[in-house]
Amino acid sequence: MPCALLGDRASGKTTFLGLLYSAQVKYGTGVQDDFRFHAPIQSLNLMSAVYEGMKDGRFPSATLKEEITELGFIFGYLRKVVGKLPYYIRQQNWARPFSTLRFSAYDVSGEDIEEFIETGIASRPLIQQLLKSVVVVVLVDCSKMTTEIDTPAYKKMLRYDSTVAKLLVAFQTYKKQEYDRLKDSGVKAEAPRIYPAFVLSKFDTLKDDVLARLGLHRGFPESKRQRKEYAEALLRVFVPQTLSQIRGGKIAGVSMDRAAYFLSWVRTETQEGMDPVGQSRIVRTGFAPEGGGEADFSYDEYVEFIEHFRDIAHKIPDEILEAEKFQAQALVRSA
Amino acid sequence: MLSVTQKRDGWSQKALPKNYDYTSNLDTWPWATTMPHVVIVGDRGSGKTTVLALLYAAQVKSGATRADDFRFHVGLESLEEISEVFQQLMSGSFPDSAAKEGISSITFHIASRKAGLGLLSRLRSQGWNPGASASLHFVLLRNLDDEMARYRIGGSLVNTKLRDVLESDAMIILVDSTKLVASGQEDPVAAMTTYDAAVESLVSAVQRSRGRGSARRFHPIFIFSKFDSVHKEALRRAELDSAPPAIRETTRRAAYARALLDTNLKKSITRITAREVQGVRFATPSYFFSRVTTEAATGDRKERVRLRQTQGGGWEPDYSADEYLALLESLRKLAIEAGG
Repeated sequence: MPCALLGDRASGKTTFLGLLYSAQVKYGTGVQDDFRFHAPIQSLNLMSAVYEGMKDGRFPSATLKEEITELGFIFGYLRKVVGKLPYYIRQQNWARPFSTLRFSAYDVSGEDIEEFIETGIASRPLIQQLLKSVVVVVLVDCSKMTTEIDTPAYKKMLRYDSTVAKLLVAFQTYKKQEYDRLKDSGVKAEAPRIYPAFVLSKFDTLKDDVLARLGLHRGFPESKRQRKEYAEALLRVFVPQTLSQIRGGKIAGVSMDRAAYFLSWVRTETQEGMDPVGQSRIVRTGFAPEGGGEADFSYDEYVEFIEHFRDIAHKIPDEILEAEKFQAQALVRSA
Repeated sequence: MLSVTQKRDGWSQKALPKNYDYTSNLDTWPWATTMPHVVIVGDRGSGKTTVLALLYAAQVKSGATRADDFRFHVGLESLEEISEVFQQLMSGSFPDSAAKEGISSITFHIASRKAGLGLLSRLRSQGWNPGASASLHFVLLRNLDDEMARYRIGGSLVNTKLRDVLESDAMIILVDSTKLVASGQEDPVAAMTTYDAAVESLVSAVQRSRGRGSARRFHPIFIFSKFDSVHKEALRRAELDSAPPAIRETTRRAAYARALLDTNLKKSITRITAREVQGVRFATPSYFFSRVTTEAATGDRKERVRLRQTQGGGWEPDYSADEYLALLESLRKLAIEAGG
């Protein structure tokens, strides 16, 4: 199941991916062994370099960021029923023990997607690949959340809101077109659904005055409903077009109602009374039995993020397989 | 094909080409759908794009509330332009000429659900199905005089905009409040006179384009733009309060608006409120008053839109939001009636 990551310039996409990789490594080596992941060699090379850098207290370098055009992981979630089977059966491939989810991040410029927005035709394979995504992860950079209306950060956020709203509507449009195409060809398909996930990146940089004005406290609530309310209070102010178009998806025939919200922060070194000079350094955790020497980040949130896709991964494959089967049939026919 | 009434009117005598089929069926045109078409007409600089942008702003706000009782969707083809003007408004600027040029038509799909279904989530969810929404297609008719002039010389059938106009379900007629005068102050060469003649001509063209006894109703909607800048003298002479009556006071509100229109858009309002012409019935006009608070230009800085804080802690243009919400609701009802 393809999954796309959207983020503004310098919103922390690579850091997010690096932290996600760190969380995968840690979570994927836990005792429970109900989550596994795989990465193709190119992605692994890049993510290892980011991971190594973070373990050394460094944020991803600009050169490293530039190398990323497409990055993929395959998440594997142990199926519930299979999990109850004896270990030796679980290990058999025929048991299909894991539901998988392909998590891909694309570095696509605004101009690339413009073509689809303007013409409604996605001719480039990378754009087609992107638009096929069932999960859309939107990074919202909390460091750009300001209530000072005459600042560049405020204007950047306005622009970002428009861009993401357009992209989300582009996803909806593509999904609807594909669904109609399947329906017209006699393939029974379920109504299209996109799973949006919002990641409030650099959450530690969110200013106190912004929180106070919105009537929010600093801690992110635990219950799903309260998390939604907390995050939506921020989105309502800073990316209202995006939020309204997520909701409006249902009217367009593409449900995006099952949005989930996560936080991302990574602790950085600060010297009291001094402004940081140059790139700040990542604080690392001490060594303990469960690991150590890693970036001090919102690990629990990343685990939540990984877990969020477990249900989706269990549910989605049939629909995707249906679509892929149809595409294969179409190819055979055209050959 | 010209009616007697029109022959009396020099301006509109040549308004419609002789070969135009006024009774042609809407369904035979390729773009035809059941989606209601709303034409926005207004004098140059009367605020057509601003009105549309504020209507979008009202939807964005309503579509992102905690209550989640209103949703809307904008087609990809329309979003680029409307989000650009929204950005400009949210930055404190009025739409610039490039943004204005970019918008010629826009489609909104809107839905709202009744309160009190809180526990019936399945029902609540069904309320958002595409079938339960209403769609509205807005067409901006710029330079009304030019459009009509082009129409008069016969190139009309290739002019899809004019087709949109003639087959529209509603027309939003913008009245630039800064140009309003009181009775007795009328200036025969004032800009409003020309505009009035153009609107009247357009309205009569719409009337003629409908078949006798057509079931489709045409809804005239008047929006008094820039009402915060209306000349106080014009209101005083017309013995009107400085603020229009509340939205729910429809009768008083209509009387208030009529007092201004009877002087300033006399021909148009007479045409619209005439009982029945050639079997075509117009719906009762509705009236809205738009205002946007501005900060005066200073030195090298242009006049700016004042932003105000919202309850949630954000910002929005300081505008007559209630009027726009009422307009939205009235358009939603119109769309449902038209089957859009």
